Amino acid sequence: MLKKRLIGVVTVKNGWAVQSFGYRRHLPLGRPEVLVQNLDRWGADEILVQCIDRSSSGLGPDLEVLGKISKLGIATPLIYAGGIGGRVDAVKVVSYGADRIMVDAMVWDSPQSLEAIARELGTQAVIAHLPVRMGDDGLKALDYRERVERPLGNWLELLPLGWVSEIMVSDWSHEGSPGSFDERLLTVVQHVDKPLLCFGGLSAVAQLQRVLTHPRVAAAGVGNFLSYKEHAVQLLKQQLGNCAVRAPQFESFQ
Amino acid sequence: MNRKTVAIVDYGVGNHTSVLRTFQALGHRCRVTSDREILAAADVLVLPGVGAFPAAMSALHRAGLASYLCELARQGKPFVGLCLGMQLLADASLEHGTTTGLGLIPGTVRPLPGMDWHIGWNSLETLQHDPLMAPSDGESFYFNHSLVFDVPAAYQAAICRARESSFTVAVRRGNVVGLQFHPEKSQAAGKQLLSRLVEGLGHA
Repeated sequence: MLKKRLIGVVTVKNGWAVQSFGYRRHLPLGRPEVLVQNLDRWGADEILVQCIDRSSSGLGPDLEVLGKISKLGIATPLIYAGGIGGRVDAVKVVSYGADRIMVDAMVWDSPQSLEAIARELGTQAVIAHLPVRMGDDGLKALDYRERVERPLGNWLELLPLGWVSEIMVSDWSHEGSPGSFDERLLTVVQHVDKPLLCFGGLSAVAQLQRVLTHPRVAAAGVGNFLSYKEHAVQLLKQQLGNCAVRAPQFESFQ
Repeated sequence: MNRKTVAIVDYGVGNHTSVLRTFQALGHRCRVTSDREILAAADVLVLPGVGAFPAAMSALHRAGLASYLCELARQGKPFVGLCLGMQLLADASLEHGTTTGLGLIPGTVRPLPGMDWHIGWNSLETLQHDPLMAPSDGESFYFNHSLVFDVPAAYQAAICRARESSFTVAVRRGNVVGLQFHPEKSQAAGKQLLSRLVEGLGHA
C-alpha cells in the first residue's frame, strides 16, 4: 500500500536556510546542506529545498546549494524549487541531484515550458506549487514576485495542470504559525483531480493526522517545526501513529 | 565485505550522482562510464535512468552501448537496471508509441493499471524464494513512475499493490535484475538490497 509522505521542507534565501513566517519574515537557521542531512538521517519521506529568492531576482536555480547537497549522498528523494525558468534549467537541476522539481510562476506564465519539462523528465517528476489563502470572497493565489493576490476560483480549471503529477497547496499566510493550516483549502481545490501536498502552518499532531488522512492528500510538508530538536522526524511520526505514513526509521545502514 | 567494482553506465540520461554515492557508501569501487573496456572489467553493471523510454534508448544507441550491454549481460555479467533502467531491459515500451528495448527480459512496458502515477513509498512483496530479494519482503521503497514492466511470471521477482491493483516492480533473469523503484533513494532498505545484489549476483 502506498504510504502518505512527511516532507521535510528547507527554505533557502541567499544561500542560507531560513525560518519563514508568512512569506514575509525570515530568520537564519544555518547551512541548507546541514538541515538536509539531518532530515535524511532522521528518515523524512521526501525533502523539499525551496530557494525563495531565485525567480524574483532572475538568478535561475541555486546550483551551488544543490551541488553541496549532492555531495552529501543523501538517500532520501529530493524535490527542488526556485528559479526554474524552463526545460534547460529543469534538466540541469535533475543532473545536480534533484529527483523532482516544483514550479510556481511557470504554471501561470509559460504552459509551454511546463509541457516541455514534463515531456523531457516525465510528468511524475513535476509538481505545481499554489500559494493560496482563503479570503472573504473566496480562494486567492499569491503571486510572490509582485506580492499581489488574484482570485483563483475561475483560474484553477484553466491552469495547465495536466503536465504535473501533484499540487502543493501552501497556506502562505499561516506559514510559520503552529497548527494553523486552513483546512478549508482542501475542500476548495477538491475538483482538481491531482493528489495534494499540503504545507504552511502544519505542525500540530492532531491537524497533521486530519490532513494526512484526507483522501486527496498524498503528503504533508513540515518546515520550521522540524528544526528545533534532534530526530524530529521520527518523533513526529511516532506521534502521528496510524495515519498511513511510513513507519519511523531508526536504523541507518552502514 | 567483498569489495567489488561497480560500473554505472553513463549514456547521458539522468543523474548518476545519487547512485554513485550510494555504492561508494557501501564501500565498493565505482566508475561512471561509457568506456567499453571499463564496463567489461567491472564486476557489476548498473543501468540507471530517468525520463522517457524512447529518449533513453536513443541515447544508448547513440553511445553505441545498446548491443554491447546486451552482449555483456548474455555473457553472464551481473547487471542491475534501476527505474527507467529496469524498463529498458524489456522487449519494448509503449511510452510515446512503441520503442524496442534491450530485450534482456521478455515483456512490454505499459501504462500503470488504474492510475496515472505511482509516487511515494510502497512495500515490496517478493514472489519467489530468491535469497537476494526475499529479505526485502515487506520493506518500503521509493517509487516515482507511470509505466510498469508487464513481464511473464517466471521473471517476476516482486510486486506492489496500490489502488486495488498489483504490478511488477522487480524482475530477474539469472544475473540480470531490474528494480522499478529507487533503492538509492530508499534509505537503509535500499542500501541493504543493493548491497545484497552487488555481493550476491554472479554467485546466487
